[in-house]
Amino acid sequence: MADRTVFYCNPFVPVEWMVAHGVTVRWLRIRSVSGTSGVGPRQGHCPLAAAVVEAVSSASTDAATVLTTTCDQMRHSGSFLRNGGQDRIFLMNVPSTWQTPAARQLYLDELLRLGRFLIRQGGRSPSKEELREVMGRFDRKRANLRQARPSMAASDWSLSLMAVRESPSQVESDSGMVIDPVLHGDPADSTASIHAPKGAPQGVPLALIGGPLLDQDRGLLDRVEFAGGRFVLDATEWGERTLPRPFDEMRAGEDPLTELVDAYFGTIPDVFRRPNDPFDAYLKREFVSRKVRGVVVVRYPWCDLWHAEVARWKAFLDIPLLDLDRTVDEELSVGRARGRVESFLEVIGR
Amino acid sequence: MSEIAKITLEEWDRRYEELRAAGMVERPYGGLLRRHVECGDTRLTRLSLDGSAAALRLWNFLLTEEDRLREARSQGKKILGTMKDLGTIPVMAYSLDKVVAFYPDGAWWLPCIKENRTGLLAIADRIGVDESFCPVRAMLGAFIGKAHFPIPDLLTCSVGATCDDFTAIAQRLVDLGHPIVWWEVPHRRRPEAGEDSIRLSAGFDVPVSQVAFVRSELERVRRVLEDWAGQELTDERLRAGIARANRVRRVLGELRWLNFTSEPCPLPSLEMMIAEMLSIHFCSDQDESLLVLEELLEEVRRRVANHEGVLPSGAVRVFWVNPVADLWVMNLLEEAGGRICGNDIMFCHALDLIPEELPPLEALARMALSDPMVGSSDDRAERICSEIERFGAEAVVISRIPGASHCALEGAVIGEVVRRQRRIPVVEIEVPPLSDSLEPSLRTRLGALVEIALEARLSRLGESDTVHG
Repeated sequence: MADRTVFYCNPFVPVEWMVAHGVTVRWLRIRSVSGTSGVGPRQGHCPLAAAVVEAVSSASTDAATVLTTTCDQMRHSGSFLRNGGQDRIFLMNVPSTWQTPAARQLYLDELLRLGRFLIRQGGRSPSKEELREVMGRFDRKRANLRQARPSMAASDWSLSLMAVRESPSQVESDSGMVIDPVLHGDPADSTASIHAPKGAPQGVPLALIGGPLLDQDRGLLDRVEFAGGRFVLDATEWGERTLPRPFDEMRAGEDPLTELVDAYFGTIPDVFRRPNDPFDAYLKREFVSRKVRGVVVVRYPWCDLWHAEVARWKAFLDIPLLDLDRTVDEELSVGRARGRVESFLEVIGR
Repeated sequence: MSEIAKITLEEWDRRYEELRAAGMVERPYGGLLRRHVECGDTRLTRLSLDGSAAALRLWNFLLTEEDRLREARSQGKKILGTMKDLGTIPVMAYSLDKVVAFYPDGAWWLPCIKENRTGLLAIADRIGVDESFCPVRAMLGAFIGKAHFPIPDLLTCSVGATCDDFTAIAQRLVDLGHPIVWWEVPHRRRPEAGEDSIRLSAGFDVPVSQVAFVRSELERVRRVLEDWAGQELTDERLRAGIARANRVRRVLGELRWLNFTSEPCPLPSLEMMIAEMLSIHFCSDQDESLLVLEELLEEVRRRVANHEGVLPSGAVRVFWVNPVADLWVMNLLEEAGGRICGNDIMFCHALDLIPEELPPLEALARMALSDPMVGSSDDRAERICSEIERFGAEAVVISRIPGASHCALEGAVIGEVVRRQRRIPVVEIEVPPLSDSLEPSLRTRLGALVEIALEARLSRLGESDTVHG
């Protein structure tokens, strides 16, 4: 029997669908992007994509991985991994267009194809009832997490957002919030000992947008909150922006898979979508409702999708924006990046 | 066998007079090549060029495209800017009576042709699209500056399995006030066990469902084009349009075969590459592009029959992957002792014949899915291997495009598959729009490749002389 663990790292892949197939689902933990990917240093290679290649290559050979086409470098990473002998790779087509019934149908068909892949990995085909039950469970977990958000430091929030995208093997707190001590980093790490005052309402309200945050980035979030900022919105790629909307109970009752498609494909705004105006609308709406006074963008070198947007946001958002273009050897929590964030806070007024 | 020397732009002045004196009849876009330099196409002065009347016509046709587009507009024709799909939508556009189509993407060569004097890249820099993007960012500068091609009346752009550079830059165009009709081409995948599939003419097996999806997207584009052009785009019209496109592709097919297999090499790689580019959108005049290619084919046939070539016999047969941002590098390869024998410059699907027996949008959907860039790098490598065998290439150059998202990993995959299957040397180089500063390194790398390939050739010859050979 194959190991039924499935790794993934894209929010357009519904965790409920995979869990309902009876496999153990794990979010692919990318602790840092400074390691070697086995690809060798290649000009133009996104360090995140390289880190994903490295993580998948070093995972159990029996585990499967789901990648998506939302980013060209990830798409080619799938090809690279398969060529390197990794045959348990599923590359899910997530259409860039979203306005047509055909695009939606393509997404649905890809979920069905994913389902067949999971069955080949040792999973089983779920009944409607099972899918509905799993969806309800994850929906409640996300609702609990959202409720707990105001009292959480940004780094905890960020970690919890990953944990609610996994099979429920972690310890659950009284509030229903998923806490996995393992995810809180190495206690020996100096950054782990610095914690923002949780729930400090007086901090400057900030939004975080851009590519995924890694374990190594969380020290930056703590430092910013310690220095007087407060992240009221995590709109990064793995942040709250890419959580599906709450399920409609009645529709989920009638046709859970259709509701799953609507909640994920139908509502998650992202920079890869064409056109991407729902993403702009999301930012504008959330910035107003959360009274955001400053924006921190975290992006990776060679990530064209995020990079191309930054200058435009500077123009249309009308809010100070700090663009942190991270490099392979620079952790966001240290050195220049830290100094820039602190200056930024000073400029917009703590 | 005799060698026809390539000539410089200066030598072209005299050659031009000789051809005129010999009775050369030119088209309205004809004339001295030098005039293009005076209009800013200064890279021509760095190039070694073919000295035939056919090549002169080819260059003149290429370098007058912007004039042709303006002329079309003044005649009341509508201009469609087709982006990214490289070869599919133009077939539909040229099936309409009063539409011309071109690729704004082609602006990526402007920094090279005009040797960075256009300021296009600087404009892109100013709006935050810097050198970490592919040189196609020059397209943004061209839209903003409005100093090159006329701004199209309608834009289409294929998305999905495309490079992120392009889709990100195209989205910026929308923000600059140029709406785009997006259409999706999904990542081409291999069929699963038991899944209905179709073998594309490119040799790839693809699920029927993917073809049906792309066909539905093309149906959507058809309706948009009909509304916009005010003319029904019937299947009959599309069939005729496909037949016309295939005429161009047939000529190119013979031209490629003769040029990649004849000894000595009858046409320089630079002119060959430009000829191939005409298949994508016919350089904004489908009928004329056919005539230009036919004249070039006649010239090549004549040279082959006379055993004439532009390179010494025995040049190393190189397969080239990806287009070069700097045309001059085609010259460098030949100076290093190589010649092009097969290529994948990202639009192989625009060189393959479109099936004429199928419903037209079904045929075009299959062609769109044959695009080497929408599938995996493994698939692309497989096709490259089969073309290497077909044309007898002895070495491979993978030419990286600076900043292009697909170039980060594909070279590693293609290189490995080629080495494993064909056991020939592979080199990866990066070619920016102006590569003069990299000349020593490029010469060294290309020279080393040629040397290794020659050694392998000698070794093969030695083996064939043994009793077991």
